[in-house]
Parts: sequence; structure tokens; C-alpha cells
Amino acid sequence: MQEETKNKFADWHDKNYKLLFLIPLTLLLFSLVYLGIFYYKNNDFIYKDISLTGGTSATISGEIDINNLEQFLSGKLEDVNTRKIYDLLTREQKAVIIETKSSAEETKQILEDYLGYELNSENSSFEFTGSALSESFYKQLLIAILFAFIFMAIVVFIIFRTFIPSLAVIMSVVADIIMTLALVNLLGIKMSSAGIIAFLMLIGYSVDTDILLTTRILKRQEGSLNERIFKAFQTGMTMTLTSLLAIVFAFIVVKSFSVVLSQIFLILSIGLCFDIINTWVTNVSILKWYVKEK
Amino acid sequence: MVCQGKMKKLSWKIWLLLIILVLSLLSIFGMPPTFLKKGVVITSIDANSTAFEQGLRQGQIINFIDGNKISTIEDFSNALKDKFKLNESVKTIIQTNKVEVILFSKQAPEITVSGIQKTNIKTGLDLAGGSRALIQAQGEKLSAAQINDLVDVISNRLNVYGIADMNIRPVSDMTGNHFILIEIAGATPKDIEELISKQGKFEAKIGNETVFIGGEEDISSVCRNDATCAGIEGCYDSENGAFCNFRFVIYLSEDAAKKHAEITDKLEVNTTAQGKYLSEKLDLYLDDNLVDSLLIGEGLKGRVTTQIQISGSGTGSDRETAYDDAEKSMHQLQTVLITGSLPYKLEIVKLDTISPVLGKDFINSIFLAGITALLAVAIIIFIRYRKIKSSLALLFTSISEIIIILGIASFIEWNLDLPSIAGILATIGTGIDQQIIIMDEANQSKFLSIKQRLKRAFTIILGAYFTAVVALLPLLWAGAGLLKGFAITTIIGITAGVLITRPAFMDMVKRIED
Repeated sequence: MQEETKNKFADWHDKNYKLLFLIPLTLLLFSLVYLGIFYYKNNDFIYKDISLTGGTSATISGEIDINNLEQFLSGKLEDVNTRKIYDLLTREQKAVIIETKSSAEETKQILEDYLGYELNSENSSFEFTGSALSESFYKQLLIAILFAFIFMAIVVFIIFRTFIPSLAVIMSVVADIIMTLALVNLLGIKMSSAGIIAFLMLIGYSVDTDILLTTRILKRQEGSLNERIFKAFQTGMTMTLTSLLAIVFAFIVVKSFSVVLSQIFLILSIGLCFDIINTWVTNVSILKWYVKEK
Repeated sequence: MVCQGKMKKLSWKIWLLLIILVLSLLSIFGMPPTFLKKGVVITSIDANSTAFEQGLRQGQIINFIDGNKISTIEDFSNALKDKFKLNESVKTIIQTNKVEVILFSKQAPEITVSGIQKTNIKTGLDLAGGSRALIQAQGEKLSAAQINDLVDVISNRLNVYGIADMNIRPVSDMTGNHFILIEIAGATPKDIEELISKQGKFEAKIGNETVFIGGEEDISSVCRNDATCAGIEGCYDSENGAFCNFRFVIYLSEDAAKKHAEITDKLEVNTTAQGKYLSEKLDLYLDDNLVDSLLIGEGLKGRVTTQIQISGSGTGSDRETAYDDAEKSMHQLQTVLITGSLPYKLEIVKLDTISPVLGKDFINSIFLAGITALLAVAIIIFIRYRKIKSSLALLFTSISEIIIILGIASFIEWNLDLPSIAGILATIGTGIDQQIIIMDEANQSKFLSIKQRLKRAFTIILGAYFTAVVALLPLLWAGAGLLKGFAITTIIGITAGVLITRPAFMDMVKRIED
């Protein structure tokens, strides 16, 4: 019974894999157009948070009413954003995070005015980054990603030594990055330096399954092409699903307390979902095409 | 099978893993294990305090105060709480694991303590609390040598000011910018910004002529912490609140004293209602701002005097805040008089002051996140393979990997910050992925020997390893090294994976399959 459905699916896939390729292609084109418009409008690829634009992030312990606070701060501080930190189990509020483009001194002064007590290193944390520095951070991180990508591509070429399959691996990584970036922007997420690191991690995670797939298809002889793809799919899906589940669980936990980690996990989970499409549709379609043409 | 007898024994790869695991645990927990130690550890101590002079140091463990056993922070505060209420000099005996000191003081000793760390794992500032500043010369590009000089001057200044537990070093980024990174553990000094960014150019002038400047060339010593020659003179109410005056004595070098004599010799004597003074005042400037103007008594005219009294004031909304302000200004002034000015104008480009309080909850939550994630993985693995032994082997390998990363991190004293923790999580993720590849390859192509099958798995893993390493390399240089932790822990983790845990896991799978 199972064999039969497998065979049926294989037949269907043989007929339609080129057509299937249109799904990621459309998604990719849509993402590119969206990112193009986004760049035209915002003069940048992402919405940046204060770690990339410069500004202050203040964390104040205690149960502070976040709505009142935000109302008080708006107009007094530039670009204010507030967030709660809470205990995961008891849901008890532990602290608030205030992010603003204003300087640390100014932010501290205004917060002290509102709270009516002095903020010291026991009850608060302040993180200030100058705008020139964060701008240079941003540039360097983009360069780091670019280099990471180029190095990765070189290694892929060295491993497979064939043009089209290597290109397919690289293309599916590119597609992962672009689709994830588009969705992150679509959701209006303000990206931090940690968020950019998440893209770096994404390169690592997504290339793993692609290497697995390409090795199994090109360097193995046993079984039919479809069998090899299916086996690789079984392994690869287990890999991606375990990673995805672990990341989603970790995301739920860290969401309560760490902005940095939760952004990394959120971006990774989005990226891994796209990776399923890009490895098992994009990369598989190109490889199948390549093997059949040969 | 022929090799059956051999397979009963653990292979050297598994032994290697076990040995590395034990070493890692030793590196994390120390020998004897730190969690068995009792007491409180000194996290910071004022380098100018008598407690410091007597031999108390940061890192020592306090076991007894006045003969009472100290096991927790509560014990510590209870032991000192009621002693200093009367503002009288009292005796305190503090016994640490290194020294026993006896102090006589009116105030509690200026030390901060914390519970003993249960492990040797060092957490970064973003988890442990403290302050971190990245500074840069304003409008100038300094060479590496100039930066190193600056590092010396700043660390000297912080030392003189009384900050003991700090780390200051030059860093540079991809684009060739040089910075100085200052990290101070524990509580943040209130005036950190002024201390590190103020140039501290001190000048004493009579008219337009400079008599002496800050630094050891002109000033041979500065009186501090001695009530006979330094202190707050008095506090007064003013229109806007209150102000307090401070004064302290400094001793000029021979040359500076002669210069003082030459300049004052030319001045005339004016008779005023308060007495006879010279026609010009001694003006004190700090960073080109006038701090104070002192009348010069008639008797000093043309005299070679090495002893000069410096004064100034602090203001505040009431006398108490004015007192604090005056004390702070005096301390700062004393510091720059001793250390001299910084050779360049500096700018703080990043300043983080992290409360140590929030970090503690953080670590627990991260543990929770890690355990939840591992459980999730375990469930999927078991559903997919339905082999309890292999699934357990996989989990064991992943947990060993975490232990090895933490072990190496504590061995090289790497401070685990949030990026490092993200790196550990990333490593575990890719580690599990690679173990899945091994399990699947082991179950495939049954006509090949298990050894050949595993060799195939390893080629895929090596490919993945190299792509990951090269992708991480640029991060070591980007962003003045602030995100380096991510790259470091990930590279440690995946390298340990390829060299130690993956081969051992393959042998475990081989044993289970055979």
C-alpha cells in the first residue's frame, strides 16, 4: 500500500517537477519585487532597531504600567518603543524595556521624572550605542554576511565540482535568505544586530540539507533517482523538523525575557520553513532536471 | 562475526569522548567542586580602602566575620548591619580563605560580595552585570601605538580612582577603526562617563601664565583619604539649594615650585578688607573650565613653596546631595591631578551599564529554553526511529557537546554572553542534524559494510562543517568584536563535533547496529 502511494507520487513528481518549480520561483519573484519597493521607500533593506541606528535601550525592574509609561514618553523621547519582560510560568511582570533613539542621559532623566526615583545599577540597565558606531556595525555585518556567503559558495563548488548542482545549492540558500528577509519586513520586525546574525545561522542550517540532498543524488549509485531523493527527503525533513521544533520551543521560552534571542529564533524558524520549500522543491527540481538532461 | 569480541569493548573514539567529557566537567566545576565551597566571594573592593591595604582582594571567599560563620549574602549583611549605626570606630575581623584582617572603621568596609559561583563558567557583562564602554578619539585616527599609550593612561586613571576589577584593551574592527574597550564587572561607578571620556586637562594659571599642570611632572603627590589635609570644609544653603566646599593639599615638584616663585615675585600686594593678597589670583582650570580662583596670600610672594592647597565646590538641591557632589568632584580632581590629562579628546561611542539583578533570572530561563528544546528533539527522534538505544545515544552525544563547549569556554576563561549562548544553541542544532544524517546513512544501503556507510555520512558532515566554519569567520572581525562570542562558541562546538563527538557517535551507532 505504502509502496504504491510512493510510486504514484514518484510518477506524479516526474511529470510535474518543472511545474512545481514555479511555486518557489513565484515566491522568490514576489519577494524580490517587494524588497525592491521596500528599498525604494525606506532606502534600506530592513527596518533597523536601535542597535543598528544608534540610541538607548533601558531596562527597568519592577511592575511598571507600560501603557501609562508609553503615553508619558511619547513626544518626550525620539521613536519610543516599550516591551514587557515577564516570568514565563507566573506571567508576573519583571521589568520593562524602553528603546529610543535619544541619548542615555536624556532617557534616564525623563524616566526618573516619570518614576520619581533614582535609577541606579541595581534597578536598571542602560545600553547606549552612538549612531556613527551602529551605522558602521551595520555595514560590517552586511559585509560579514556577504563574505560568509561567498566563502560558503566556494566550499560548495569545491565539494561538488560541478557547476549546475553547486549553483542549485547556492540558489536555494539565496532564496531562503531573500524570502525570509521579505517576510521579516512584511511583518514589520525591526531588526537588531542579533537578527543579522540569525541570517548567518540560516546560511549554515539551510546549506546542510542541500549538501545532503546533492551528495545523495550525485555521489550515490544505488536505487533509482526518485528513491534517492525520497531517502534524502526523509533524512532532511527529520533534520529540519527537529531544528524547527527545538527553535520554536526555545522561542516560546525566551520570548518572555530576551529580545535578542527571541529575534534570532523567530528569524530562524521563518527561514527553516522557507528552507523546506527551497530544498525540496527548488533544489530537487533543478537537480532532477540536471540528472535527467545528462 | 569475527570482530564480535572486539566490539564488546568500547572503541578508542568513545573513550576519547568520555575522557574529554570528564575533563570538561572538571574544567566547569573545578577540583574540589566549587559548589561544595561555603562563604561569600568578594566581587569588588575599593583599591583605596583600608580593607584593600590590609590584604582583602577581589575573588577571596569570606568565611567568618567577627567569628560568625558566613554562608550566604544574608549572613554577610546581617553580620555588618547593626555595627556601624553609632558612627563610632568599631572593630571588624574578617576571615577569608586567604587572609584574616582586622579593621577599625566608622563605616562598613567598602566591599561588595556575591554568593559563590557554583561553576567556573564565566558569564559576560550582559548576563553578570557591569559596564562596558567603547571609546574613540574624537576626530582623529590614532595609530595602534597611540591607542596603546591611551590604554595605559586610562587604566592608570581608573586604578587611581579605585576601580580594581576591570579589563581595558584596544580593539579594532573590519574597517580599520581603533577603539578602546573598557569592561568593569559588578556595580557601575556612577561617574564612569566622566572618568573615561573627560580629557582631564588640569592647569593652574596666574594671569595668562601656567604655573603647573596635572600629572607627575609638576605634582609630586596629592593628599587624599587623610582628613588632616583633604576633605569637605563645610556646606551652605544657597538660592538654588546648597553647596559644599572641598579642599585638599598637593605637593609641587621642585621645578613647578620655582616657577610659582618666579611668577608671584612679579605681582603686587593689594590690601583688602580680608587681609593682604597678591594682585592676581591662582586660577584652576579643568578642561578649559574655571574650577576655582584662589587668592594668594602676601607671604607667598616670590617664595619657593611646594605645598599648595586646592579647593573647589559641589552643588545640589540640598546639603546632602551637595556633599556627595563635592566629594565626587574632589575625587575626580585628585585623580586627574595624579594621572595627568589624556593625550586626546575622547568620545564614548557605546556605553552599556547592565544591572546584575536581571541577569540571574536570565540564566535560569536559558536553561529552561535549552531543556525544552532538547526534549522536543528527543520526542521527534523517538517517533521517527523508534529505537530507544540510538535515540538515547543521540541525546547523550548532544548533551556531551554542550558540556564540552562549556568546559572549553571555562578553560579558556571565555565570558559567555548572549551571542555566545546563541552560538551554543546553533551548534546543538547543527550537531543533531548531523547525527540524524549518521543514523540514516547507517540504516541505508545494507549491501555496504557499516563502516563504509558511516564513512559516507562523514563526507557529508565534513562538507557541512567547512561551509559553517567559513561562514562564521567574517564575524570574528565585524563590529569591534562585540559579536565574536557567537563565532567563537560555534566554531569550538562544531570543531569538537567533527573531531570528537561525531566519530564517537558513529562508533556508538556501529555497536548498536552490529
